[in-house]
Amino acid sequence: MTRPDLDPPEVAVIGVGQTPYRRRHDATTQDLVRAAVHEALTDAGVAMSDVDIVIAGFAPDGLAGENCPDKRFLPAAGAIGRWSMRVNTGGTTGIAAAFTAMDLLEAGYGDIAIAIGVERMAQALDVPAVFNTIFDPIYERDIGISTISMCAMRASRMMMRWGYTPEHWAQVGARNFAHASRNPLAQITRPYSAEAVLGSRMLSWPIRQLDACPISEGVCAVVLARSAAIGSTARPVAWVRGRASMTDTYNLGDRFAPGRPDLVDLLSLRDSVNRAYAQAGLESGLQADVAEIHAPFTSAETMAYAPLRFCDAADGPELVAAGFGAWDGRPVINPSGGPQAANAVGATALVRLAECALQVRGRAGERQVEGASLAVATGQGGANQFSTCTVLSSR
Amino acid sequence: MTTGDSSEPVPPLKLAGHWDFRYEYFAGDAASRFFAELGQGRIMGTVCPQCQRTLVPARGFCDVCYVETTQWREVGLTGRIETFTILATKFHGLPDPPVVIGYVTLDGASTAILNYVQGVPLDDLDAAGKQLLGQPRVRVRFHPQPEGRITDFHFEVTDDPA
Repeated sequence: MTRPDLDPPEVAVIGVGQTPYRRRHDATTQDLVRAAVHEALTDAGVAMSDVDIVIAGFAPDGLAGENCPDKRFLPAAGAIGRWSMRVNTGGTTGIAAAFTAMDLLEAGYGDIAIAIGVERMAQALDVPAVFNTIFDPIYERDIGISTISMCAMRASRMMMRWGYTPEHWAQVGARNFAHASRNPLAQITRPYSAEAVLGSRMLSWPIRQLDACPISEGVCAVVLARSAAIGSTARPVAWVRGRASMTDTYNLGDRFAPGRPDLVDLLSLRDSVNRAYAQAGLESGLQADVAEIHAPFTSAETMAYAPLRFCDAADGPELVAAGFGAWDGRPVINPSGGPQAANAVGATALVRLAECALQVRGRAGERQVEGASLAVATGQGGANQFSTCTVLSSR
Repeated sequence: MTTGDSSEPVPPLKLAGHWDFRYEYFAGDAASRFFAELGQGRIMGTVCPQCQRTLVPARGFCDVCYVETTQWREVGLTGRIETFTILATKFHGLPDPPVVIGYVTLDGASTAILNYVQGVPLDDLDAAGKQLLGQPRVRVRFHPQPEGRITDFHFEVTDDPA
């Protein structure tokens, strides 16, 4: 059984609100939260008085330099007098907030919920050093590891195993930047070419500056509702047809033994996809019109291709070389530009869901993929060990 | 009492901040013994009684089988690079580049351990990367004055055949 209840009430995303994911020196965290929530409620056509549940994610505190900021941003999200809490699972924080809200709606604790993901990392002047502190202080932190080097070690492994080259990843980057140029919320809207990616500064071999995400901030809010509350509204909604959140070991070093899932097999995403696709009746990610992949690095995006059943892992480089994911094909990968163009850490996994919801609701504006009705969103957190997969449909 | 014109633009204010707290991390039984053994020139792992993996660095339980490790086993001082990166840009609080870090499975271990890797010329990063993609053999080099930290050793690429 892949779901806890054989006949749970259905839930849908009925509204989306997002701030631009750029440095905002002119607003407090609370101001940004309120702006995003207000926009989401307006989009959903509901009032705060209709809302029963408020779930908020923010992570990690050290990036914002605000310890336990929940005490201030939860009220700004409308939590006063409502069932509310904060969740934190690193990179998957934003989607964890949405899944928590969905669980509560399905369980009957309310009809309408707000889920938000918050990021304030532009306040940090030493982001890589803060990211060093998320690693194990006993065995690993002294070795200078950060999120960039962690993902670079996965990239090297992909070069060894499947023959990826920096040129493949530069092509992925150029496609994401081309898509981001349609997205007014993106931080990087300049359509950098593959040559520009290859010519950018080396951060942690083989990852270059334009293979990596920028330092972004902002707030994403979604309004969720269960079917009874949606009724016969004429407004388009995005039905949640499948979802799962799975975990793998923290220890990167445990994923090299022959005969076991490898570091770059991304076991937790494979497990999440298996469950979410089964719930949604999906055989392959290629059936989707749109996929928003939570990958802050070009190489990390390609690592998700096999778990999402776009191809066998060894065929990934060939798929990239064929121009996979571009605007004129299906599925379109990251029509928003993805985390490469804006990666507000505590929000970004929720942004993937929100962007998919906008797509299947036909409300994605200039970045709308024509006729999109089925979309897949992923989330990645921890030491890339927490993965989520959500399938959204217009029907 | 003065009155101000609220329509006059004010530049957004940024307030300088700083976190400076001290901590002591409690290493626990497994890591305490691991570092004590490291000081004696030995690298020890713990064995999972269920999957039989020798876990290096040592831990008190196997998180996959969810059982306590029961035995200690010494592993070799040579091994193979499983993956790596070359830190190439200086960031505050992180090592001065260029420097190689990588995961190494020591002979007899079932899992890999992270540390600095030396012995690869780093004047040409792509050439260094290419060499390291070949997963060369490495040897553990212990440091003369152990402090009870993971930095009490590093790896050095050897010319030994795989």
